Parts: sequence; C-alpha cells; structure tokens
Amino acid sequence: MEYILSTLTFTGISLIGVLGVYLVTGLTGLFSFGQAAFLAIGAYVSAVLVKNFAVSLPLAAIIAMLTGLLAGLVVGVPTVRLRRDYISLVTFGFGEAIIATLNNSTNITGGATGLSGVPQYTNFWVVLVTVIICLAIVIGYKHSKYGRQCLALRSDELAAKAMGINVERLKLITFLIASVMTSFAGVLYVFYTSYVEPGAFGWVVSAEWTIIVFVGGINSLTGAVAASILLTGLPEMLRFASEWRIIIYCVIVLLIINFRPTGIFGENELSLRRIKQFIRKGAKAA
Amino acid sequence: MSQLEVKNISKAFGGVKAIDNFSFAVGQHDIVGIIGPNGAGKTTAFNLLTGVYPLDSGQVLLNGTDISKLPQHEIARAGMARTFQNIRLFRGLSVLENVMTAADPYSPYNLLDVLFYSSRKRHNEEAARKQGSEYLKIVGLEGYENERPESLPYGLQRKLEIARALATNPKVLLLDEPAAGLNPSEVREFIELVKRLHKQFDFSIIIIEHRLEVIMELSSQIFVLNFGKLLASGTPSEVVGNKAVTEAYLGEEDESCLI
Repeated sequence: MEYILSTLTFTGISLIGVLGVYLVTGLTGLFSFGQAAFLAIGAYVSAVLVKNFAVSLPLAAIIAMLTGLLAGLVVGVPTVRLRRDYISLVTFGFGEAIIATLNNSTNITGGATGLSGVPQYTNFWVVLVTVIICLAIVIGYKHSKYGRQCLALRSDELAAKAMGINVERLKLITFLIASVMTSFAGVLYVFYTSYVEPGAFGWVVSAEWTIIVFVGGINSLTGAVAASILLTGLPEMLRFASEWRIIIYCVIVLLIINFRPTGIFGENELSLRRIKQFIRKGAKAA
Repeated sequence: MSQLEVKNISKAFGGVKAIDNFSFAVGQHDIVGIIGPNGAGKTTAFNLLTGVYPLDSGQVLLNGTDISKLPQHEIARAGMARTFQNIRLFRGLSVLENVMTAADPYSPYNLLDVLFYSSRKRHNEEAARKQGSEYLKIVGLEGYENERPESLPYGLQRKLEIARALATNPKVLLLDEPAAGLNPSEVREFIELVKRLHKQFDFSIIIIEHRLEVIMELSSQIFVLNFGKLLASGTPSEVVGNKAVTEAYLGEEDESCLI
C-alpha cells in the first residue's frame, strides 16, 4: 500500500509537470526542454528557505512560485519573440544552466550530493488535491479565449496576428502559468522525498514530459493525463524486470509513434459523450 | 475624408521592387478593386497594409491616423481585417471557434476569471458563441458550427475566412482573391454575399481578384498594378478601355495564368 501510494504520488507530481508541458507544447506549440528546471527551482527555493531560514511552509511555497515566475519571465520575455526552434534551444540551455548552478553553489544547495533532511510535509492527498486544481486550471484555460487563441497561433501564427491576436503576449502568459505550476510541483516533490539532488531535474525529465504529451495526443488533455499515468506508472510497475525497463518503455513509445502518430487520443478528448458514441457504433456493427 | 489612404508605399526584397511608390485611397463605405497580372505585387500590397512586412517608405492612414508603424496585431485591432489567397484557417479549432477566436482579443474577461471559473467568463463565452454563430449565419455557414474547417468544401472554407474577418469588427476588409477556385454559381453567390455585407456593415472593402466579373460588378474604383507600380486607375469602364492595361494583361499572359 505504502509503495503504491508513493508511486501514485510521484505520478501526480510529474503529472503536474506534464500539464505544464501540455500548456506550452500541446496548446501553444512551443518546445521547452527546460521545464524540469522549474521543478528544481520550486524544490530548492522552498527547501532552503524552510531548512536554513526557518520560513514557514506556505510562505516558502509562495516565494518558490514567485521565483519560478521570475525565472519564467527572464527566460520567456526574450524568447517568445524568437522562432520556435530557438525557443527549444534557449529553454534547454536555461534548464542545464539551472542544474549547473545548483551543482556549483555547494554551500547553499549541497552541490551534487544534494540537500537532505528536509522535513516531510506533503503526502499523497495533498498531491492529489493539487493535481485536481491544476487540471481544473488547465481545462478552464483551454476552454477560454486564451486557449482558443493559443491553438490558433499554434496552427497559423501569421493568420493569428492578422486577426489581432497578440502572439507574443499569449505565448508568455502560457509559459508563465506552466512555470508557476511546475514550481509548485517542485515544492510538493521536495517535501515528499525530503531529499533533492540536481541530477533529478535534467533535460531528460523535460524530454520525458514532452514525450508523454506526444504519446497522449498533442491536442488532447485526457490523452496527456492517460499517457502520464501509463508512462510514469509503468517504469515503476516494471521495476521487477529492471534490466528490461528502459527497453520495454522505449518499445511502447516506438509502437505508439509508429502506429498512432497522432498519439493515443489524437486531437480528441475522452468524454462520456464520446464513449457512448463509441459503444453505440460498436453495437451497430455487431 | 477617405477611410483608408495609402501614400507612396514602397517595398523591395533584395533588388526586386515588389511595390514601388504605390498610392491609392478608399472612400468611406466604398468598394475598390486591385487587379494586375500575376506577380504584380497585389498580395504584397495587402501584406504591407496589414503589417506582415514593414514598409520601406510611405504611410498608411486609417481614418487619418498612421498605422504603418504598428505591429501586425495592432494594425488588425485598428480595423484592418483580411482574408488569405491560400486559405489560412485555424486547424485544431472548430468552425465556430475559428470565428470566435477573431473576436477573442476584445473579450472583456481576464486570467483571474479563467482561473476561478467566474460568471463573467461564462457570460462572455456565451455571448461570444452567440456572436460567432451570428457571423456564420451571415455568410451562410449555419449548421457547420462544430465541423473541422479542413473538412469543409473549398467554397465554404472561403466563406469561413470571410466570417472570421467579420468577427474582428473591421473598418476596412481586404479580400485576397476571394473567388479563386469557385465555380460560376459560387462566384455569383459570392458577389451577392459581398453586396449584402456591404449593405449591412459600415466598412470599406478592397478586393484583389482575377475574375473580372467580380471586380467589374462590385468595385466603384479599380487600381491596376503592374511590376509593383500603379499602372492605371479609374472606374471599371475606364480601366477596361485603358490600352496600357490591356497590354499588361494580354501582352504577356494567357487566359490560364489569370486564374
């Protein structure tokens, strides 16, 4: 039970990261390979504040999110003007720079050996509530003028501008929401594991989140959620066959990319209405 | 006062002068046409008016204010709406959402309303939906609200482009070859649509079109571009009688190139 709960907790935390990537990549069409750095920012800022400066947890969480926002602004403001492929490069560089900074500021962060002895304040239920709130935010955002404009600019930036859409501002807003959300996930992470090291937040994690969004279907939120439960839960479930884990994981991703290039759900959302339609179609065929 | 006044605009790409010292004016609530052989710079002119490219020189005055230095989205918000020669609808959004998106920059709710699912968001979304359906109805796309734009037949996609441009609440509507690819009965229908829109709304229209029947019937003034320069201008009958125009067209183009 303990083990399942902890797997679910980690799945929940990375689900929040995936939701951030969904906003940035799925809705807006930008590739960020530095998203995991915001997880690191949230984790380290809150952990250092609580452990070294005896700041209360809620205040530390707020400061951590504000730091995430600030970092998002520093990266976002200059990059939203750039071409899409440059944005991936800059965010990649930013992510690695954060990791390097954490590795080298040994006296504050503990360097590569990490920061341990952080009190364990969060549990599965806190993460679950956060996931639900984040989901609600993302759903609300997608089904608002913001989400529509994001999809429009993802599809055709020139036409979007010609309709009066402020493309740069929307990209920035979306990126910042993702940054703040992921930073908070970092707070949850560090107060669950009570230990952090920079190695846990490299570009590999960001890339994994991007893969999850693609496997789920680029425009499908339910797809992203399903894929993230499948792909973060899966490596844990396959732990007994540890040599085969990565291979099985890769094979699954390859199969999906090959046979369903639009992702499991493609552009569609899974909803009750769709399930009913599907069943009705099946009944007719039979 | 003219609604739109274009003063001596020029644009060169490398050594090619795509638009060379082009001036024209559009009166209040007027329809004008721009014609010219392929490669004459008609679409480039539209791209300059809507801020896709910055001007090398010249001015674009919309109701007397210079909009040529503004970024592209602000030019659109100032009241310049357009359709595209090669249809550019938003994939990933439904037909209705395509139209709603064009009005979204003006929708009066903010991010907090979104985060807290406020009633202000709900009301405005509801209103936007209604307004969007209204525009679809005007162009004759009723009943297609939830379709995907790429699944519509070509003629309907053209109409959707017009509905989307209407939703930006324009002062000047620029139509870039709106009748290209339409069959004769659709062309007829399109002419009637433009007449109806012009009657119903208070904007001016600029049309680029190769189909002469469209231009001749709709426009009060025609401007002929050739190699980026204004070759001739006047009423439809004046332009048709102009020898230089006939030469520009028939001297080097055959009928199939005009489509």
